[in-house]
Amino acid sequence: MTIQETPASQIKEDRFWLYRRKLGDFWRLFRRSSLGKLGLALVLSFVMLALAAPWIAPFDPFTFVGDPFLKPSSTYIFGTDQVGRDIFSRVIYGTRISLLVGLVASAMTVCLGTLVGLVAGYLGGRIDNLLMRITDLFIIIPALPLMLIMAAILGKGVQNIIIVIAVIGWTATARMVRSQTMSLKERPFTEASRAIGSTDLHTISRHIVPNVFPLVFANGMIAIVDAILSEAGLSFLGFGDPSRPSWGMVLYFANTAGATVNGYWWYIVPPGICIMLLVMGFAFVSYSTDQILNPRLRRR
Amino acid sequence: MRDYLIKRGVSALVTLALAIILTFFLFRIMPGDPTRTVVGDFRVTPEVRQMLIHQFGLDQPIWVQFVLYIQNLLTGNLGVSFQYRGTPVTSIIFGRRLFNTFILMGSSIGVALVIGIIVGTVAAWKRESKFDILTVIFSLVTYSMPVFWLGMLIILVFGYYLNSIPIAGTITVGMTYSNVFEYAADYLHHMTGPFVTLTLSFIGFYFLIMRDSILDVFTEDYMLTAKAKGLSDRKILFRHAMRNATLPMVSLMAVEVTYLFGGATMTETVFSWYGIGRLIYEAVVMADFPVLQGIFVIMSVLVISANFCADIAYAFLDPRIRY
Repeated sequence: MTIQETPASQIKEDRFWLYRRKLGDFWRLFRRSSLGKLGLALVLSFVMLALAAPWIAPFDPFTFVGDPFLKPSSTYIFGTDQVGRDIFSRVIYGTRISLLVGLVASAMTVCLGTLVGLVAGYLGGRIDNLLMRITDLFIIIPALPLMLIMAAILGKGVQNIIIVIAVIGWTATARMVRSQTMSLKERPFTEASRAIGSTDLHTISRHIVPNVFPLVFANGMIAIVDAILSEAGLSFLGFGDPSRPSWGMVLYFANTAGATVNGYWWYIVPPGICIMLLVMGFAFVSYSTDQILNPRLRRR
Repeated sequence: MRDYLIKRGVSALVTLALAIILTFFLFRIMPGDPTRTVVGDFRVTPEVRQMLIHQFGLDQPIWVQFVLYIQNLLTGNLGVSFQYRGTPVTSIIFGRRLFNTFILMGSSIGVALVIGIIVGTVAAWKRESKFDILTVIFSLVTYSMPVFWLGMLIILVFGYYLNSIPIAGTITVGMTYSNVFEYAADYLHHMTGPFVTLTLSFIGFYFLIMRDSILDVFTEDYMLTAKAKGLSDRKILFRHAMRNATLPMVSLMAVEVTYLFGGATMTETVFSWYGIGRLIYEAVVMADFPVLQGIFVIMSVLVISANFCADIAYAFLDPRIRY
């Protein structure tokens, strides 16, 4: 009797269609949620704004185009700042930095958390114990003060803000991935994989990672929200890079120019609204994703 | 119960030890001269510097420094501040600033918590009603706002346009008070802005957690039992649902203290509130590392104790945890 072997290409194709179908299911459920659609629309419009910034912004955000502190007019939609730069253009260009930092920092956060969670959950024992102690520590110590201290130590700059956010924010993902990994490790299919002599790396990458991915994805959405807000806060306190101004940094300049006490609402309101809408966009997407992917919420 | 207490206590102590070790190394990984972060500042006089180098063993190997650091910590010596020219860190932190921060944070957390719990319960009960949808949207909006921006808006509207609140500080500078009530009135008037900002920023979170928690409780069997017994809606809601749903809030609250510190730092900075949050910001800007280190150690102690207390309270409230 000969054993019919399935060619590798066939397996790959099967897997592709399986993922396609799963993604299709997800998308069908997601489209039913109006909050999710609204969130996605918000996020996509900011992505478009960031990409199309050079065509939308009427001025260069760094050059002095008028007198300082001009009121909003048809030329300068949100007026000018303390050195005569166009605030409207600065807000448009700020989208790029805020979005970029939010996405990169949260991606790093999630990768770090997933790595820690996988290692702790899969290996167990002493390593698990140590990693979970460190996780507890990072959950418990005050995040913003630690961020400020780290930012002060590392110095100003966009990269450093990203590093600081990633180093502080990985704990939630790590905990979740760990518990998921621990339960997946006991399932028959991972046991079978080990029984036929697969290496740990193979078992993790082929059997565990694909199964924790949906939850990691849902967590990533929350991480983006946190990252955007943290970036805004750090930039507002003056840790951003002045040559790459984000919305938080525009607000930092507004504060140093005394915009609140002088009543320059056009300097304060637009960047804040942008932060709020982008955060809400991601929060809505995350909420809907969670409703679909989290089995605990489905039964209600 | 005893085993549980010991287990929690040990875990809190281990976390605290890790936090202290982290702080020690965090302030010694700075680029350049490692002693700089502890004493090496031009704002500290040479005599004080000599004394500190001796006290903290800065001319000795790192493990000796670590032992001395722990010793000093246990005797309450956190070094001296750079920006305040050699004033001990402990006397800067323990004083008016800590008091101001406690008053501001305590009152806003308290009010936000009560409103969040009550409104969250009602919203969950009337799920998908107009009230529910409006309150959910409101809390999502406040949750999505950066705290400092909310503060700026409040200064703009109530300080600039309506001119009804002071825009900065804790008391009117240079004012003399005839009695303590006048002082309290001035203090509270200054607190209005930061208090409203912080309360608004906290409410959303408590509300959403409470609502979620109540919805969870509604799926439990004992809710059906309560209904079957013929209890009134009010009794079911406040006696059974709210009580059980408040439990997770207790443990969450302690964890969230760390997050609340963030909001307080931002708010205090925006309103120039003379507290610990503002001190953190100043110390970062002025590179006053001993003060930062001191605040960090004290905050870690506070948060870890709060978590420990919450764990114990939780065990008392929910017998399932103990066993």
